[in-house]
Amino acid sequence: MDIFSHIPFIIVILLYFISSVWSIGYIIKPVFFNKKVGKWSMMMGFLIHSGFLIFLGLESGNIPITNVYESFISLIWCILFVYINLDYLYKLPALDTFLVPVVTALSLWALTFDGGDLLITVSLQSFWLIAHIIPIFIGYASFTISFSLSIMYLTQQRQLKHKLFGPLFTRLPSLEGIDRLMWKTISFGFPLLTLGLVFGTFWVKTQNILGEQWYLDYKVVLGLATWLIYAALLHMRLVSSFHGTKIACLTIAGFCLVLFTFIGTFFMGSKHAFQKVSEHTHEKFE
Amino acid sequence: MSILVVGLNHKSAPVAVREKLAFNANNIPTALSLFLHRYQTAETVILSTCNRVEMYASTMDGAVKTEDILSFFADFHKIALDEFSPYMYYYTDDRAVNHLFFVTASLDSMVLGESQILSQVKEAYTTASMGEATGKVMNQLFQQSLNVAKIVHTRTAIGKKKVSISSVAVEFAEKIFQNFTGKMVLVVGAGEMCELLLKHLYEEGARTIVVANRTFERAQEIANAFQGQAIKYELLGEYLAKADIIISSTSAPHYVIHADQVKDAIRLRRGNPMFLLDIAVPRDIEPEIANIDNVYLYNIDDLQSVVSQNIDERTREVEKCRSIIEEEVEHFMARLEEMKIEPAITLLRNHFHTIGREELGRLKTKLKSIDNGDWEQVVYTVERTINKLLHHPAKVAKQEAKNGGGYRYVEIIRKLFGIFHHTDRT
Repeated sequence: MDIFSHIPFIIVILLYFISSVWSIGYIIKPVFFNKKVGKWSMMMGFLIHSGFLIFLGLESGNIPITNVYESFISLIWCILFVYINLDYLYKLPALDTFLVPVVTALSLWALTFDGGDLLITVSLQSFWLIAHIIPIFIGYASFTISFSLSIMYLTQQRQLKHKLFGPLFTRLPSLEGIDRLMWKTISFGFPLLTLGLVFGTFWVKTQNILGEQWYLDYKVVLGLATWLIYAALLHMRLVSSFHGTKIACLTIAGFCLVLFTFIGTFFMGSKHAFQKVSEHTHEKFE
Repeated sequence: MSILVVGLNHKSAPVAVREKLAFNANNIPTALSLFLHRYQTAETVILSTCNRVEMYASTMDGAVKTEDILSFFADFHKIALDEFSPYMYYYTDDRAVNHLFFVTASLDSMVLGESQILSQVKEAYTTASMGEATGKVMNQLFQQSLNVAKIVHTRTAIGKKKVSISSVAVEFAEKIFQNFTGKMVLVVGAGEMCELLLKHLYEEGARTIVVANRTFERAQEIANAFQGQAIKYELLGEYLAKADIIISSTSAPHYVIHADQVKDAIRLRRGNPMFLLDIAVPRDIEPEIANIDNVYLYNIDDLQSVVSQNIDERTREVEKCRSIIEEEVEHFMARLEEMKIEPAITLLRNHFHTIGREELGRLKTKLKSIDNGDWEQVVYTVERTINKLLHHPAKVAKQEAKNGGGYRYVEIIRKLFGIFHHTDRT
């Protein structure tokens, strides 16, 4: 990719960054930081982000997940997409303060993958790919939001415990309100994750894309672990109707596992249908 | 034209004096009409709350003086003048306006920034205007004071933070629970503070209320007031795990709720948060309970410190409010000066137009053969000339009046044009 292809996404990151600063600033000093600046720079960023993805898709003729960078920024787009819809539906105050910085950090991280040489090896036209990727991405996105919510929960909980009744205390919603939305995002994400994993399993069984020992692929193993941790969360909540700090901590652990499954595995040498360009060409020569 | 206020408040007079001068909703209309019967050119409003009794009056000719209002108070309440006159304050004109704006914006209230006074001023004004005791000046003055109070409240933080123990407690509870419907409130003990808190929670939607007290009858009394349930004191332990909000204020010399009990309760509740409020001295709830996960415990000092912080914050806003009010008083006084000159200008206009009409009448008899179209042109030109001639002086006079020279200009206009009819009274 040439240098110009960076520019749109750098602008997007810049807008997300401005939005982060303003949404945090609004909580601390609302006189100096207008809430609308935060909101509109996020929306602008999201629009350019969407445009950029469409451009990438049109350029390659496929959905933009042909390499790690593209799939990362597609995932980030999903996070904001779910957030914007959720905000429209439930309007939980101050959620942007906790989510947009996460999005900004993820975007910066995604940028480091730009120009990486891991390319997808499976056919992008495959129905299985779409059926596997899209539910998982939307699921991951809602887990990211539940992660932000649990940080918010723990922050508010800490302020209540330590009797810190400053501006942050005033602007954050009630523990119960945060807990409820956290619960909604998890129970929305979980069936999607399950669906994506089921489709993935079908795919790998029918087309043998990960080799014979597909179940030893790091991503497969960790994907299962992620599923288990959220299943445990659901179980705790549904069967034992568990609330409070423990759920929030588990949600954070779940998200760490999501991130590790999504990106970390590439550092561990797992390819999961991605292949280094050099190896790819090497294979071709053979 | 003058504006006058005579009154006393919680700072200037003890309650023993205030209660003697207080008016109530029933006798205010009578008082207003008696006063207007005495001073027929006056406009007046009586503001009487538990913290203040004030009478605002305005006359065009200065017919009402401070002493008149004092003796009216004495006559109406049938008390000797010297019993209350040392406690009274008097303000005239801009200082009177300033005072009313201050009062309405709740800067003169016992609880700084409380909003009740706004409705009290509104009511006082409505009563007076219904009794036809107000005129142009009082209408403007009171409507403007309500506006200014709103401006002060939106532009400053004077009324933002909570400054009562019970409202701060409810604010805390609202940071734990999204709402109070379906939440159980358990009250241990039956102090006055408990009742106040319950009232607040009830207003916010709490409907499941359980009261436990050593004397069962007292528990029943409170429970009945909030459609709650009274339980025997010995059963307290059984209800702990069900309660979301626990308020304790017994006079017991030892702890009433222990850490073990709450630990068990939170286990049964599976981490569902509990909000405990200890407003008893000595304390009722073991302080170690604060360390249990998902349990939030506050005592009277925690609430008190937030209240005093919030009061400080309101006090810091007073200067900002003061400057807003000063600016608004200036505007109002300018508007008042303009009002003074308006009748004189109307008179001047009428004077000119009368002369114009007389002269046109003379001309009409001379020009018998003029056709209607031409005549209309002549009339139009004369009227237009008069209006044009008057436009600038009227504008300048109004402008100058705003700077405080209103009365002087009225005199000048009268002298220069020989208009001496005394009809410009409002």
